Amino acid sequence: MDFQPPIINLLIVAPLLITMGAGLFLMLLNIFCKRDGVYYWLTLAAIAAALVQNVAMWGHEYGTFIARGSYPMVVSDNFSVFLNSILLLSGIGTLLISRNYLHRTKLERPEFYMLMLFSLSGMMMMGMANDLILVFVALELLSIPLYIMAGLAVSRDDSKESAMKYFLLGAFSSGIFVYGIALIYGATGATALPAVYAVLEAGSPLAMAGTAFLMVGFAFKIGAVPFHMWTPDVYEGAPTVVTAFMSVGAKVAGFAALLRVFTVALPAMSDAWMGALALIAALTLIIGNVVALMQTNIKRMLGYSSIAHAGYLLIGVAAAGQHSEAVGSVLLYMLAYLFTTMGAFGVVIALEHKLGEGIMLEDYKGLAKRNPWLSAAMLVFMLSLTGVPPTGGFSGKFYIFRSAVEANLWWLAIIAIMTSVVSGYYYLRVVFYMYMFDGDRTEPVYAGTALKTGLLIALVGTLWLGFFPAGWFELAYKAVIGTTQLLAGG
Amino acid sequence: MFGLEFDQIFFVLIAAVTLGFSVLVVTMRNLFHAALALMVAFLGVAVTYVTLGAGFLAMAQLLVYIGAISILIIFGIMMTRRIMSAEEEPFNGQAGLAAFTAVIFFAFTTYVFINYWPAVPAVSPLAMAPEVDPAMIDNSVVLLGQAFVNPNAYVLPFEVASVMLLAALVGSVFIAKPRIQEAEA
Repeated sequence: MDFQPPIINLLIVAPLLITMGAGLFLMLLNIFCKRDGVYYWLTLAAIAAALVQNVAMWGHEYGTFIARGSYPMVVSDNFSVFLNSILLLSGIGTLLISRNYLHRTKLERPEFYMLMLFSLSGMMMMGMANDLILVFVALELLSIPLYIMAGLAVSRDDSKESAMKYFLLGAFSSGIFVYGIALIYGATGATALPAVYAVLEAGSPLAMAGTAFLMVGFAFKIGAVPFHMWTPDVYEGAPTVVTAFMSVGAKVAGFAALLRVFTVALPAMSDAWMGALALIAALTLIIGNVVALMQTNIKRMLGYSSIAHAGYLLIGVAAAGQHSEAVGSVLLYMLAYLFTTMGAFGVVIALEHKLGEGIMLEDYKGLAKRNPWLSAAMLVFMLSLTGVPPTGGFSGKFYIFRSAVEANLWWLAIIAIMTSVVSGYYYLRVVFYMYMFDGDRTEPVYAGTALKTGLLIALVGTLWLGFFPAGWFELAYKAVIGTTQLLAGG
Repeated sequence: MFGLEFDQIFFVLIAAVTLGFSVLVVTMRNLFHAALALMVAFLGVAVTYVTLGAGFLAMAQLLVYIGAISILIIFGIMMTRRIMSAEEEPFNGQAGLAAFTAVIFFAFTTYVFINYWPAVPAVSPLAMAPEVDPAMIDNSVVLLGQAFVNPNAYVLPFEVASVMLLAALVGSVFIAKPRIQEAEA
C-alpha cells in the first residue's frame, strides 16, 4: 500500500502555533534563565507576532486544515480572525497592566506567562473549533490554566478560595457540557458542527436536552444567571491582572464558541434556544445590575458588572435568528467591552498598591486631585460601561438594542435600557467618589510606563469606537457573513 | 428466573455493586476507606464495558483508573497523615436540596433516554477516512489508534489535549512546590 503523507495546512492554525510554541519555549527556557523580565518581553513579543499573523489572515481563504475529509476540525474565517484579534489584544492588555503590579506584589513567576499563553491558545481555539470534541478540549485548555492563575497568590487565602471555587464549579460545568455533546451525538451520530446541522431535525428531544446542557456549560463560562455564582468570589480573590484577563478573555472565548456552535450546528433548534437565551439574558441583566448596586469592593462590583455585560451580549445572541446583523453587533460589543474593561481594571491595578489593598470604593476618594489623568481615564471607562455617548459602550449597546428591536424582542430591549439606567448609579458613584470627595492621601499613585501605555490604548480604543462606530460595525458584520448557517438561510 | 436473560441478571448485579460502592464513596467518614470503595466502583464500570463488548475501554479503565488514579489518590492520602486518620462529616446542610436536584435530573434524563435513544445509528468518524482497510473494521483498538493520529479524524484534539495536560502539570507543580521566600516573609 502506497503511503502518502497527509497534506496539512498549518497556516490555518498559525496564530495558535505561535502562542502554544511560545508557551513550550518558555518552559524550556525556565531551565536556564531566571530573569523574569525575559519572560515578560518574550510573551509580549509572541502575542504581538500572533496578532500580526492573525490580522494578516483577514479576508483570506486558506481552505481547510487538511486537504481531504468532509468536515474540518478547525476553520479559520473572518469570524475567528476577528475574535482572535480581540483575544490577543486582551492578552497584550493584560501584560501591559500587569508589568508593574506583578513586581510590586512579588507575584511575578515564569509560570504566569506560560499559563497565560496556554490559556490564550485555548481561547482562540474556542472560536475556530468546528467540532464539538475540539470545542470541549479547547474549553479545558482555556480553563485549567485560569484555575491555577486565579490561585497565583498561593500564600493568600482569598486567592486560594478563588482558585478552588473556580476549579470545582468549572469542572462540574465541563461535565455537564460533555454530557450535552454525548446527547447531541446520540441524536445526530456526529460531532462536527456542519454534520450536526445536516442531520438534525427540529424538535428532536435528545438534541433538545443536549442543547440545554451545552447552554449550561457556556452560561457558566460567560457568567450568566443562574450560573453566575462563582463570578464575584473568583473575581475578588484572584490577583487583579488575572481577573482582568478572565473577565475579557474567558467571556469572549465563551461567546465565540457559543455563537459558532449555536448558529452553525443548531439552527434547527433555534426556536428553543433563542427563547431560553432571551430569558437568561433578562435574568442576567436584572440580577447582575441590581446586585452590583450594593457592592463596596470595586473588584466585586466589576464582577457583577461583567455578569450584566454578559446579559447585554446574550441579547444579541438571542436576536440572531430574526435579525441578520445581530451577531455582528455582538462582535462590536465585545470589542468595546475589551477596551473598556481592560482600561477599568488598569486603573484598579494602579490603585492597588499592595495585594488586596486599595480596592474599596473608599480608596477612590479624592483621586481626581491626586491623579487627574488617571481619574479622567476612569471617568471615560465608567461612562463607557454605563453606555453614555460618545464612548464605545454606547455604540455597542446601540447596535445590540437595535437588533433586539428588529427581532421583535421589545420586552428585552426595554429591560436592557432600564437596567442600563440602573447601572449608571454604581458606575457613576465611582466617578462621584473620585471628584467630589477629599481623600486622606494626597500623593499621586505610581502607575508605571507599561500601565500608562495600556491605559492610553484602552482610552483611544474606547473613544474611537464611540466616535466612529460605523466602520467598525461594518467590519464586525463582514466577519459574520459566511460563518453562520442562520444568516445563510435568511 | 423472572424471565430475565443471563446477561441481564449479570448487569443488574454489576450495576448494584457499582452503585453500592459509589454510595459508600460519598458517605464513608474515613477518606482512606472511601478511596478503596472508589476502586471497586471503577472495577464495576470496567466490567460493564466488558459486557458491552468494549474491550479496549475496559482495559483502559482498569489501567488508568484503578492502576493509576486510585493508587495516586491512596498515596496522596497516606502522605498527608492528618487526612489519613481524620473522620470527616460527609454531609453539610444542603444534602436535601442536592438530593432533590439529583432526582429531578435523573428523572429527566431517564425519560429522554427511554423514549428517544438512539435517534440515529452512530456513524464511525473513520467512515469519512477512505484509507482504512475494511479488514480492520473488526479491530476496534487499531481503529481507535488510527483515529487519534489521522488528520481526517482526531489528531488535532489529541495533540491539543497533550498541551492541556502539560499546562495542568505546570500548574500542579506551581501550586505544590515549596516557597522558601514566602515562608521567610
